Amino acid sequence: MRTQMHWATPWHRLARKHWVAVATAAVVFVISMAGWAAGKNGRDAAAKLADETGKTAEAQAAKADTVHITIQTVPPRKAQVKWGRKNLGAIPVPRALVVERPRDSGPLDLIIRASGFLPVHTRAYTFTDSRVAVKLTPPTEKSKLFGYREELAPNPDAGAPAAPAAPVPVLEPPKP
Amino acid sequence: MKSVFLVCAVTALAGNFGCHVGTQAPPSTAPNQGLPPQTPATVAKPAHAAPEPQPAPAPNPAAVSEPAYTDGQALVIHDGKEGWTDAEAALRSGYTIVDFSDDWTPFIFAEQHAADGTVLHNRYRRVFLGLANDTLDEDGEPLPAGEKNHLELYGIPPSLGVLRARFLTDEQQTCHATISLEKVDEVESIAYVAPEKTKVEEQRTARLRHELEDARVKAKVTSLAELAQKDPTLAAKVKAYERRTAEKSAMAEVEKRLACEGMFKRGVRHATGVYDEAMRLAVRRFQQKNMIYEANYLRSKTMDALARPPLANDYQSFMRVLRERVVSAAGVLEDGSVEGKSGAPTYTGKAGKPVPVRNLVDELTQSAAEQLGLASEEGVLAFFKRHPAADFRRLRVAVKLPALPEYYAPDMDLAIVIDRGEVWYDLPWDAKGVRHAQPRKRYPSFHLYVKHNNQRILLARWRTTVGGWRAEQASDGYEYFRYKGSDVGPRVIRNIVAGPVWIAPESTPTRSLVKMKDVGGAWQRVVNYDELGPGYLSAYGVVAGYFVQPGKNGRADWDNGIRAHGSSDYLSIYSSEGYSHGCHRLPNHIAIRLYSFILRHRPMRVLGDQGMGFARQFLAGDDVFEIRLPSRGYSYQLEPPLPVDVLEGDIKGTLKTPVLTYVPKPGTKYPGPPPAVRSSDEGRAGASAKPEGEE
Repeated sequence: MRTQMHWATPWHRLARKHWVAVATAAVVFVISMAGWAAGKNGRDAAAKLADETGKTAEAQAAKADTVHITIQTVPPRKAQVKWGRKNLGAIPVPRALVVERPRDSGPLDLIIRASGFLPVHTRAYTFTDSRVAVKLTPPTEKSKLFGYREELAPNPDAGAPAAPAAPVPVLEPPKP
Repeated sequence: MKSVFLVCAVTALAGNFGCHVGTQAPPSTAPNQGLPPQTPATVAKPAHAAPEPQPAPAPNPAAVSEPAYTDGQALVIHDGKEGWTDAEAALRSGYTIVDFSDDWTPFIFAEQHAADGTVLHNRYRRVFLGLANDTLDEDGEPLPAGEKNHLELYGIPPSLGVLRARFLTDEQQTCHATISLEKVDEVESIAYVAPEKTKVEEQRTARLRHELEDARVKAKVTSLAELAQKDPTLAAKVKAYERRTAEKSAMAEVEKRLACEGMFKRGVRHATGVYDEAMRLAVRRFQQKNMIYEANYLRSKTMDALARPPLANDYQSFMRVLRERVVSAAGVLEDGSVEGKSGAPTYTGKAGKPVPVRNLVDELTQSAAEQLGLASEEGVLAFFKRHPAADFRRLRVAVKLPALPEYYAPDMDLAIVIDRGEVWYDLPWDAKGVRHAQPRKRYPSFHLYVKHNNQRILLARWRTTVGGWRAEQASDGYEYFRYKGSDVGPRVIRNIVAGPVWIAPESTPTRSLVKMKDVGGAWQRVVNYDELGPGYLSAYGVVAGYFVQPGKNGRADWDNGIRAHGSSDYLSIYSSEGYSHGCHRLPNHIAIRLYSFILRHRPMRVLGDQGMGFARQFLAGDDVFEIRLPSRGYSYQLEPPLPVDVLEGDIKGTLKTPVLTYVPKPGTKYPGPPPAVRSSDEGRAGASAKPEGEE
């Protein structure tokens, strides 16, 4: 498991210098070489899928062995992302935290903690590349969240009776 | 410069694609045997099997050697001897090919293809296979070494590779020799004694023993049996004492048996002789291993299985697994559930004579077992010894099954009828909060019919559930009771979803939406995805048919959230007090058979994975939990849809129509009057939202 962040690449500068063809070829070369390198590990998985589905290996080769999970918060904050005991790192605002995981390796149950906000428990999946944009809520706004329980009146006898009164049944109208 | 890069790129691309060409599944090298009609030729095991592609998505680490056959071959028994035959030729000769491979799934989880040939992957297939092969857990994460899933009760039978290992291990297991199955067999059940009352019960038994012993000495007889004969007033006490003593002896043997089979959970301490939580969990595990529908106590069915030798139980497991494979291969459903006191119902056959509806599930399974020499425990053990683990990667067998009834066709005129049985709308408690029984003599039942030659033939009839009073969380964050009934009248099933996802409505009590989970060695609270799915614990089970009223004049179907679905809450289906939230529950394995059967005998379209990007947050304590659901499941569309009729049943009690408002729970204090009821089409499922404390 490794984490990485987004960086600008030198290929953009090359393109700006009108070396479009060269850059394109180089990108294709790099991707291809990376694919070739990954292919060593990917071969088994591709064969597995080919066997399972009857599809050809070429079709499966398009699938990478790993997926990238992009984690962000709304509003963007420097938040710590934990997965069980593992600290996956801090979200490097304004960029996102990108986590790489083996494809189909099961979900990640994450806890995201940002100063001044309630911790958020969320889940990321490894079926495919995905983005997890987590809304942060300050403690002062927790009453806006579903599941928030209204406080009981200080007088325990206030409000509805503790034991159910005989309900006033509102009966179901005839179905259409 | 440009050309150098381009050459490199082209070369690299060529290499990249080229290196994957070799990963294709090898073409079958099995020769066409040119089988004569009705008799498949057999060939000796090939000296060199074809190169072996990787196994199913959840590989069994034990399977490392090469299987003894090629891809296109199937095992066949000819003159009592095993041989290999070309599967396609065997099919043409009237044989049925039964999939014995470890990457078998029921039809609903098989990889399907779109009209253009594209594979429509099913997300849950990999997990299903991993669960069946004891390689993955319910989240699709690797199962710790040595762990077993035991999920037959949830609709996921073990793979044959797992069963093979079970047979071979149990044959070698020595700890069973120390267990007296006779002592277990002596009692029909063992009365439950709560852990905190165990000592009191022991003291009571000791007092009884002293009392009876004194009486025996005074009566000058040699045994308690004689005492009971001589003094009939003590007969009941003698009987009670003897039963308790026999139960205690049996309990000790049961504990040994459960320990020997590895049923006790690691880290949960068990006190000898006490029916504590560790014992309850071990009994539940044993029941799940042996597919016993019974509460987690030592009752009759559980005791029967505990009194059988392990290999005898293994053989029953094998027959259940074989049954699912045969049912899947033959595409049948009739399981004898329609038989009543006067036998099976009949229909008028082609010859004009009454023909009883056959129990094809048992008939075909037995036929396959006999042809393959697997109709006995010894036969199965020998079979597993003959075939190494590697053979089960893609093993298929050819069997000649009895002909199917005349009403079978690719497009069968099927229809579902659900009888709600006896229904109560009254509140189950009075103004003081005291519960009142609402007895039912006639329970809800699910019927599948086929129309053939102007006759309606009943193929299957199963117990199911209807809705009742359930707990719901209102917008004020408090739980109330609400009557969640099952709709009455004509409906259709247009969509069948394999691995369905239940989007918990906002009315779901949050206490049921959070659970503890070991995440990488740390226990943390997580959203309870078990219940959302996809998965065998999902509120919709492993497969669901969605009841809708068809839209007219271009309008969309009306979906009131009623489904007929598999359920992990299997005891609720057979319980006298079992109710759903409005859906009709079936045991998962029955739901799998039902929908596989419907999909194979009705025109349908595979829609595939229904991706979505659902996310919703809720508060539990001072933490925010976020439900994230990437898919609704794997969908099939019936064209035309399947007709369903839900009969009203007999309304019992005073109220003749359901209460529509929230009703406060007895003993709960609320901040104000009940808020308005919220409705959603997902509000009719949810095994969780039952009354607090209910099992």
